[in-house]
Amino acid sequence: MHRTKTPLRTRWRLIAAAVVTAAVLMLAAGCSSSLPAAGNVSNSDAQALVDKGVRIVDVRTVAEFEGGHIPGAENVPLDQFEASMGSWDPAKPVFVYCATGSRSVEAMRILSAAGFSTVYNLTSGIVAWDGEVTTDPTAVASGGPATPSASGLPVMYEFYTDW
Amino acid sequence: MKPVVDGLKKQYEGKVEFKLYDVEKSAEGAQLATDFGAQFVPTFVFLNADGTESEQIVGEVSEAQLKKALDKLK
Repeated sequence: MHRTKTPLRTRWRLIAAAVVTAAVLMLAAGCSSSLPAAGNVSNSDAQALVDKGVRIVDVRTVAEFEGGHIPGAENVPLDQFEASMGSWDPAKPVFVYCATGSRSVEAMRILSAAGFSTVYNLTSGIVAWDGEVTTDPTAVASGGPATPSASGLPVMYEFYTDW
Repeated sequence: MKPVVDGLKKQYEGKVEFKLYDVEKSAEGAQLATDFGAQFVPTFVFLNADGTESEQIVGEVSEAQLKKALDKLK
């Protein structure tokens, strides 16, 4: 009995070591494709966030958004911000911007206070943005009448006629 | 489409809110359809709980297609 115990224990140790190694490797991989440090970011860091597919939130008004925005951005005006962010994952990074960087600082403060761990703000806003801008509304994930439903549930609309 | 949608409404009760508008009779429905950019009937618009649009389907669709769109909603 005693003889079988030692190899078993050794085997468990090996498995534990493998798990730890895997975890370290995964962490290292995570770090090597790391995002810029959270907080205020320059245009070049912001471009890196856009390229990595980080959630981009334009906190300006709908009219400002329609005038031109960063491709892939969703429009959540500051006054609707707290209602919308409830469905976002606080563990995932969020990149906010506005015209000059003042409203988005407020959005960043709201997100940080709500427990979002990685929040970025485009320091000088879109007025100083030198990257791509689009007016294409199809790139918009929200905006228009898209406000959270009163029930807090997803909604299916059907528009029909009785012909 | 009505029997299909009615069936789905029951199946997704408590999970998805169903809002059906006859755009000929409902001014609110007509306005909403315009806001969503819907130009034809029937049009189905799927919104996630945060109000973001997940998908739009235009025209007659199968129950399976609708279910697929409904299941994607967050």
